[in-house]
Amino acid sequence: MVVGIKDGAKLAGIMITSFCAVLVCTLFLNYNMDLVSMEDVITAGPARMMYDALMMTSKVVCCVTGGCLLATTVIMLFFYIRHYIDTHKKELGILKALGYSDMQVAVHFWVFGLRVFLGAGAGYLGASLMMPWFYGTQNADGMLPDVTMHFHPLLFLYLVVGPALFFAGAAVLYACRKLKTPALSLIRDNLWAEVKMPKHRAKDADSSFMAELKKCTLREKKILVFFMVFASFCFSAMTQMSFSMEELSSAMMGAMILLIGIVLACTALFLAITTVVRGNSKTIAMMRVFGYSRKQCSQAILGGYRPAAYMGFGIGTVYQYALLRIMVDIVFRDMEGALVYEFDFPVMCLSLGFFAVVYELVLYGYSQRIRKISIKEIMMEG
Amino acid sequence: MIDLKEIRKTYGKGESSAEVLKGISVTIKEHSYTVILGASGSGKSTLLNVASGLERPDSGAVLYGGRDITTLTEDELTAFRKENIGFIFQQYYLLPNMNVDKNVKMGADLVGNREYRSLIEAMGLGGKMDKYPGQLSGGEQQRVSVARALAKKPRVLFLDEPTGALDEQTGREVLDYIGRLHQEQGFTVVMVTHNRNISEMADTVITMNSGRISEVYSNAVTKNAYEIGW
Ligand SMILES: Nc1ncnc2c1ncn2[C@@H]1O[C@H](COP(=O)(O)OP(=O)(O)O)[C@@H](O)[C@H]1O
Ligand SMILES: [Mg+2]
Repeated sequence: MVVGIKDGAKLAGIMITSFCAVLVCTLFLNYNMDLVSMEDVITAGPARMMYDALMMTSKVVCCVTGGCLLATTVIMLFFYIRHYIDTHKKELGILKALGYSDMQVAVHFWVFGLRVFLGAGAGYLGASLMMPWFYGTQNADGMLPDVTMHFHPLLFLYLVVGPALFFAGAAVLYACRKLKTPALSLIRDNLWAEVKMPKHRAKDADSSFMAELKKCTLREKKILVFFMVFASFCFSAMTQMSFSMEELSSAMMGAMILLIGIVLACTALFLAITTVVRGNSKTIAMMRVFGYSRKQCSQAILGGYRPAAYMGFGIGTVYQYALLRIMVDIVFRDMEGALVYEFDFPVMCLSLGFFAVVYELVLYGYSQRIRKISIKEIMMEG
Repeated sequence: MIDLKEIRKTYGKGESSAEVLKGISVTIKEHSYTVILGASGSGKSTLLNVASGLERPDSGAVLYGGRDITTLTEDELTAFRKENIGFIFQQYYLLPNMNVDKNVKMGADLVGNREYRSLIEAMGLGGKMDKYPGQLSGGEQQRVSVARALAKKPRVLFLDEPTGALDEQTGREVLDYIGRLHQEQGFTVVMVTHNRNISEMADTVITMNSGRISEVYSNAVTKNAYEIGW
């Protein structure tokens, strides 16, 4: 292999999101397919309505979680590839200088597709194991005739093989595009050359070093700000929605959404923070040499993302409210004993409190980790 | 006064381990200009890192005015460096995304030094405050790193091959600035180099040979940066 893409831990994010996406989609789609096959049996008024509502809910769930997770996976994938190319410029440049074509190098990025395959496969397996229990709870309310469980191998093709091929292809094409830089400029890998030099503004002249560092960190990797917003968005939307879902739909649906929300949020948060800390390890090392405390380092490097994180939480709150409002008002409009949905303020406070604790704990954890950044290692890198 | 007592340091474990410092005892006087001289790989950088509290020795003591810094916790060591130590490295290690002013401010802010701009001027960089490291020559970058180190008003300035990446002309310039500021401000200088000529600028020279001190001597007459050979 020309390029050893062994950053396993980093790829875990892709595996986790594809796992979640496939798990949820398999469960609901499988159920849906079995339900559809029973359409002719269901004719009575209330049962029919229940049937429509169930179809609708599973479609909404599949679209929201599946779509959300798919988008995340795509973004993560491109982010990883770019990051990989950025951090391995020299080796890649040398390969190109030796005469490997862009495509010959890029082809190796197909392993990203393998990760998706593994994650999605595990999700499919998980869903298969959960299936009997899932059907059991769905059948428990007895409003519909019992839906019997069938396996639909086609789903495996659509949800596991398809995405894996798609991601492998996308990774190769994207890498190929990214590699279209002259070999020499890859090899020279001038840190300096990359830095965009912002125009110096008069009002900046007297801002403190820490304030300036905060600003620089944010400015340099805007995608990470997005990740922060996204992490807290997921957390906020999913946790709050899970509580409402428990009332509107079933406890299991609530629990599932809660779980996915937390997993997604943690993945995105972890990814974002790790990248920030790694990307700034030189700066942090230098600050430690000079005698800046761990707390100061983590404040300057990570503290700038705090507003973004809480903003994401706010957006998530609004988003889930709007979504549920629409679902209740449109989907369940004609149902008997129409469901009421009100904004749940206590739940929001709970969720916010929990979020704040988790977020600050993670930051604290990283400030502990900053201690371990070895000055010597960084200096030996040259 | 910095007292090093029986410093030992080994890297690696088992068969591939190598003792880099083999029991080093030496005293560095306050306000002195001390050069640690030795061939590449003799352990100079390791000694400098241990003496400055960047690395811990496996055994031995590093006493600053009687206080042993090897027993401090990581956070205490950081605070110690903040109050006492300035560093200059061969590779400058400036922050690429900040201009000269902000890079120097990194040192100045630590001790609330508001007059740090005069240092930039003193290093002959008055007209380059707004420039970024990538827009400066090697010598200019090293001068920025000198200003950054001195802006925190250290009591001891540690330099690891500060001219290693510079040509003769700019190397002399940087050494000249350091020598003059040492005269003016009286901080202690501890400089690592493999260039015997540079040791003629020092009042005390410690020579190292594969992890041991082979000789410590004083120079009766010291030369300035333009009088030494290169
Ligand atoms: N972190 C480390 N791990 C393993 N070996 C090291 C490490 N740091 C230095 N060494 C080894 O210790 C020896 C002395 O290194 P150093 O103190 O940098 O010497 P000098 O600065 O005199 O060139 C060298 O052989 C080097 O390879
Ligand atoms: Mg060295």
